Amino acid sequence: MNSRWIPTMCYQCKAECAILARVEDGVLKEVRGNPRARGKACVKGMAGVSLEYSPDRLTHPLKRVGHRGEGKFEPCSWDEALHAITAKLRELRDRGEAHKLTASFFPHSITDPKWRFLNAYGGFINTALPHCDSAKIVACIKAMGGVPNHHIPPNFASVPKGGVIILAGRHAMGCLDDAAVPRDILDAKARGAILVVIDPVFTADAAKADWWIPVRPSGDTALFTGMTHHIVMNGLHNKAFVENWIREGDFEKLKDYLADKTPEAMSAICDVPTRDIVKLAEMCASAPSVGVDSFKGIMLGQALDFGHAWTNFLAVTGNIDNPGGQPLPDLTPLSPVLPAPAGPSLAEKGWHRTGPDKGKFGKYSFIMEPTWYEAQAIKNGDLKVLVTAECNPALTEMGQEEWRKAVTMTDEKGQYQLEMLVSYEIMLSETSRYADYVLPDKSYFERWELLYMPWWYNFGHGVALRQPVVEAPGECRHSNEVFIELGKRLCPEYFAFKDDLEYYDIQLAGLGLSVGKLQDMGGLWSPGTTGFRKYEHGGFGTPSKKMHLYWEDLEDADQALPRVFLAPEYDADADAFPFFLISYRTIFHQGSGQWTHNNPQLRDPVGGFLDNPVLINAATARRLGIEDGAVVTLRSRTGSLKARAKCTERIRPDCLGLHHGFGSTVGRVAVLGGGVSDNALIPDSGMTLDWQDLVGGESHVSTRVTVEG
Amino acid sequence: MKQLSLAIDLDRCIGCKTCVAACRNAKGLVDHASALPGAIPYYLRVESDRQGVYPDISIRSWVMPCQHCKNAACIKACKAEAIVKDEQTGIVRILAEKCTGSRACIEACPYGVIQFDAARNKAHKCDLCWDRVHTGQKPVCAEVCLTDAIRFGEKELLKMELEAEGKEIVKKMSAQSMLYFRTPG
Repeated sequence: MNSRWIPTMCYQCKAECAILARVEDGVLKEVRGNPRARGKACVKGMAGVSLEYSPDRLTHPLKRVGHRGEGKFEPCSWDEALHAITAKLRELRDRGEAHKLTASFFPHSITDPKWRFLNAYGGFINTALPHCDSAKIVACIKAMGGVPNHHIPPNFASVPKGGVIILAGRHAMGCLDDAAVPRDILDAKARGAILVVIDPVFTADAAKADWWIPVRPSGDTALFTGMTHHIVMNGLHNKAFVENWIREGDFEKLKDYLADKTPEAMSAICDVPTRDIVKLAEMCASAPSVGVDSFKGIMLGQALDFGHAWTNFLAVTGNIDNPGGQPLPDLTPLSPVLPAPAGPSLAEKGWHRTGPDKGKFGKYSFIMEPTWYEAQAIKNGDLKVLVTAECNPALTEMGQEEWRKAVTMTDEKGQYQLEMLVSYEIMLSETSRYADYVLPDKSYFERWELLYMPWWYNFGHGVALRQPVVEAPGECRHSNEVFIELGKRLCPEYFAFKDDLEYYDIQLAGLGLSVGKLQDMGGLWSPGTTGFRKYEHGGFGTPSKKMHLYWEDLEDADQALPRVFLAPEYDADADAFPFFLISYRTIFHQGSGQWTHNNPQLRDPVGGFLDNPVLINAATARRLGIEDGAVVTLRSRTGSLKARAKCTERIRPDCLGLHHGFGSTVGRVAVLGGGVSDNALIPDSGMTLDWQDLVGGESHVSTRVTVEG
Repeated sequence: MKQLSLAIDLDRCIGCKTCVAACRNAKGLVDHASALPGAIPYYLRVESDRQGVYPDISIRSWVMPCQHCKNAACIKACKAEAIVKDEQTGIVRILAEKCTGSRACIEACPYGVIQFDAARNKAHKCDLCWDRVHTGQKPVCAEVCLTDAIRFGEKELLKMELEAEGKEIVKKMSAQSMLYFRTPG
């Protein structure tokens, strides 16, 4: 028996942890965390073995034969599929509309060849992550001049005794950043750190917290601003940091702004008692460190305001790039692959992609477009070819119903307004049902990828190699290989390298490495250090080299300083829809749906999360006469669905909770049913954008609903 | 009798079920081509309880493997003498070659941890990774635990270790050979 552990990188979720895969006679058997990279893999990662050998794996290309949405296909050859895609893209470019191509995928890394193809051809990337951390990233860029990749959680391994860890609307024990996070948080706690969880839902993190604060949804901006008021007005701020590292004049502007943002005033907004705001503020001001991990604010839109309140709070308490505070990213010196394509100008070509609201997007500041643009752009005639990979907009993104409508819209001649939809899949999904061509992708156990992040949770900055550990079935080809092939056909001057391996070799030359050398080293390279207070050498990346608390470029949008009121969807329809539906997550399922929803181990009641009950506070349920396990109807202004009620003490009485982006019905396991998608209830996205965070690139994920037994 | 044991930290278990999936893979309990939710064998499961009402609540989780009981009911129930408690390790094992598939052990086990393989007509369960511990390795669940909430070792040594650290062994949960502990206060 030939059995060995091979280092590679997980991709059961966006965290991409370093793992070891045990392969026995060519068959994948087990997964572990890689001990050379802080060494943990979570339950999703373990269940990747079931994904690899799912009978639902696609093994050859498919061509649509029915209408979009019917899911009727016939097999076709790669030659035929690639010929059709190349011809369509050539035609699009020849008529001056290359920017009407969007590829929707998760950018693992700036080394991703898909990104290069889009820049060379002139199309756009869509992250498929509008509900994620983009506003926080924008806040980081605006306040500190850093360009983080992903959302950069605190370095939990560095939190000192007495340091405060705040998880605000963040399910850190769901391993969203790295599977080492739960262990590192508990280790920090064991050495005397204080864990505070701010969330309307009592999460797995809250179960380990010293203090759970069940804040009102979207009240976190007010909560942090109230704390900042108390700290600044009472002289509890970090004076050395404020004097040396905040841009001249900004602290005074902040003080003026804070004048009426007292803990009392903020308490009325966020529904956290004044004494608790003061207590938490004083705890943070006197702690050796404070790290705040958040997602997009507490479940609602208007997330850039939270991001701004967050950076202001960290600045006045001096918790920037200190042990236990907010890390700043660092750069790994990879070599560019020349000539480097510039990419289309978002300002020139991009704004018009937002339909009737395009005029509002002048301040739009995130570099990648969220999924909900797609429906708008298709209706507008501004999106003509859509390629999806590793995402599932028909199910797991806000505005899913609008997306489904838009991709099936026809013109007066009966032609689809979206001229081509290509879906790369390792198994069929809701999205692929709408595709003209479905291409069989390789799983993460079968492909090469060079992963590069400016800051990586588990070992500081560096690069990591994903390598094939088993053979791909049938005719599977990785989407990156296919995009390189398309690049060779359509823009060969930018694809003058042999294949993905040679492309990565060129980039690795900057480190004196190659794919082969990196493989020999165990697939991981890092300078071995994270580094603290890096701003002391050369300042911040802002024009002033200091932190910017006041954002003058957003004066017109009235967001030069954070707006503290609740997000607009909190108050909308409050009379007709008395409850607030918020999304939450578990460790068992990732956002894009199919790989975990259609995985028998992760849907197993003993090993995972079977269905998606609606969480309802036990007292609320009693008042409404709803019994545990009863099927209830949830209704919003745009949709309704039925779900099993889970009566619990774990949620605010005025809220209901659903696991986000659930409800897949495609695939051998998923077809058994159980679970609903909250996106069916969330209005606005892709329709009017009225509630969107137009300057931060966020989409809201919550809405008001009724519940009936 | 010498007894190998797991010590489960109630302060660290987050109920993530990573141990369940890793155990299933390691023991070959999943037929990936046909497995369906609710029908996959398992050698350990996660349990939890809640105290209090909103907003003053606490929840704790723990794993429940075979307890490798001192006087195991499954051993007494098995007429085929297919279940033995190993003197060297204290591990309770089901000897597949002797198992007649009577299911008496499943009825007798107070912890509900014994599985039945209908295709082979055999009972099977956690053997504390018998093959691994004989080569100096930890059981898979202890190795993979996401939060390092599962310790492995000789029961008496684990008890001494916990005592030295000031931990409280929750005796109500530790009637058999597994230990459950927490930090007092």
